[in-house]
Amino acid sequence: MKSGGKLERILESGVFAVTAELGPPKGPNLEVVQTKMGLLTGVCDAINITDNQTAIVRLSSVAACALLAQKGLEPVMQMTCRDRNRLAIQADLFGAVALGVRNLLCLTGDHQCFGNHPTAKNVYDMDSIQLIQMVKRMRDESLTQGGDPVDGPMPLFIGGAANPFGDPFEFRVIRLAKKVAAGVDFIQTQCIFDLPRFKEFMVRVVDRGLHEKVHILAGVMPLKSAGAARYINNNVAGIKVPDEIVKRMEGAGRGKKAQAEGLKLCAEIIQEVRQMPGVHGVHIMAVEWEEAIAQITEQAGLLPRPTI
Amino acid sequence: MIVAKRKPLPEIAANLQSTRKLLIVGCNTCVAICLAGGEKEVAVMGSALHLALRNTNPAIVITQRSIERQCEEEFNAPLAEEIAAHDVVLSMACGVGVQTLAEQFPSAIVYPALNTAFMGRPEERGIWSERCAGCGNCVLDKFGGVCPIARCSKNLLNGPCGGSEQGKCEVDPKNIDCAWQLIYDRLSRIGQLDRLLEVEPPKDWSTSRHGGPRKIVREDMVL
Amino acid sequence: MTEGNKIVLLGCAHSAGEVVADLAARGLALPAHVEWVSVPCGSTIDELLMLRAFESGAGQVMVLACYNGACRSVDGSLWAEKRARAARALLEEAGIAGWRLQFCNIAPNMAADLPQWIEEFREPVVAEESK
Repeated sequence: MKSGGKLERILESGVFAVTAELGPPKGPNLEVVQTKMGLLTGVCDAINITDNQTAIVRLSSVAACALLAQKGLEPVMQMTCRDRNRLAIQADLFGAVALGVRNLLCLTGDHQCFGNHPTAKNVYDMDSIQLIQMVKRMRDESLTQGGDPVDGPMPLFIGGAANPFGDPFEFRVIRLAKKVAAGVDFIQTQCIFDLPRFKEFMVRVVDRGLHEKVHILAGVMPLKSAGAARYINNNVAGIKVPDEIVKRMEGAGRGKKAQAEGLKLCAEIIQEVRQMPGVHGVHIMAVEWEEAIAQITEQAGLLPRPTI
Repeated sequence: MIVAKRKPLPEIAANLQSTRKLLIVGCNTCVAICLAGGEKEVAVMGSALHLALRNTNPAIVITQRSIERQCEEEFNAPLAEEIAAHDVVLSMACGVGVQTLAEQFPSAIVYPALNTAFMGRPEERGIWSERCAGCGNCVLDKFGGVCPIARCSKNLLNGPCGGSEQGKCEVDPKNIDCAWQLIYDRLSRIGQLDRLLEVEPPKDWSTSRHGGPRKIVREDMVL
Repeated sequence: MTEGNKIVLLGCAHSAGEVVADLAARGLALPAHVEWVSVPCGSTIDELLMLRAFESGAGQVMVLACYNGACRSVDGSLWAEKRARAARALLEEAGIAGWRLQFCNIAPNMAADLPQWIEEFREPVVAEESK
């Protein structure tokens, strides 16, 4: 066992895993965190806490994860390379592990121009692959990036992101292989709407035998409306919602009807990706719609979650 | 070359409201090539400042000069008397030139007319883009001659990130190519794609500006 | 210094020059407050000429060049238009209203149009004066 944590145990046991995202508040509002924790309890195996996602300042992942760990939930800490150099990253990791965090998702991080502090200096001292490599070394060799011994064990299950939809397409699988070589244990992909392209990606992943070296969780996102779909297409890099899906959402009408269709669609996508070889779980990103997770997992037949 | 762009006129004029005698000094090297601070631009600046100050400082006397290269004292030296005879020097050189004048003539008031931006190349007439970040440890051999430090918005060494779409960088798809698409294409073309299979370790930033302002001393050249 | 009555016509000899000569031949001299400055080609027009015109007391400057496609230097008229736009931006930065600088394409046989253009160009100044 690398971390001894619940997510690792579930994935290693071969159970189809479910992780979900919790977006922290734009301030020290613990009530928001607690409410969202409640919504996600019992409907997923682990909860990702984002790290200044889209470069918008929010309550830190390490703090929120510490709270989750305290309450007996399984946090997945997210860490980008945009805001912290290798010193701060390692310091935060020491603190996170000390406070009970066992899962880490290593990300490069959206550029600050997208967020609410576009005039800030960014860091990018390292990139996500170097971060993965560094954490693996801290865990397995007990050495910091600078070469000093680490005072205490660092049992972390190391995660990374993959974008099967970015360019250049041919290189995406090679980059995944690079992350595996660097030491990544699990992958959460970018949101899937283009099933054929994702299937093609997974075929190449399996071809290279990568599915035997890393656990891949397919990323999904419920759409609230056709408007939301169009917004994603125009504003979010790396995710493309195909026309058929936008049309389907348009056909569903508005408000509750549209939302219901979005949830149904999400559950369908989950069922589709579950059939694909190499997919070991699903990561549900319901941005500011954490209530949806319970409904999606229900509809997709993923409840109840096992206790391992 | 160093690429710079003229500052907005109001910003320049703001410092000249009570200046009696202004000396504008242009530079005929980099900033002349990027059409920002050469002889022509000095003339335009003189005229524009007269117009901008016509109500608040109509009596201002403006002298225009242009020299070969403002970053070298020998070229600036002939200006010593004139500089002393004027209240303010407006340098239309890059930041290096402005500072050289200020260091060489420490009693002078030297203001910059340009915003110095980057080390880059002309792509076509009127368009210049960044190519080198002066990191102090060139790794262009590893990336097919495309610099990920200067040209990748996140200076990734194991890119691309998820924001690469159709060969463009999500930070500014209109103007920024995805450096990693360029690297991938170039390495493919020269048959060195396997270079990208190795994980490039974290950069030693101590040779860059992050390590402090740099100085190169060639002992063999110093008498 | 500026915002006076004088209008400077800064024009290409091949088109505007012909028009001015044509008007003169017909006994239709340009009005007293209009000064004619000839350049050999639109490609020789730059910001400096326009700014100097304002510096020397012009309240308005009209830049005239051949129609695109008719320029003997191929891109000269396009160049002149770009320079006029750049100069206008610089004037705005200096606090001088951009409408005081106008760019027009003209052909040698348009003598009938120029006096009309000059009058229309002058209208905002006349309006301001009568306030």
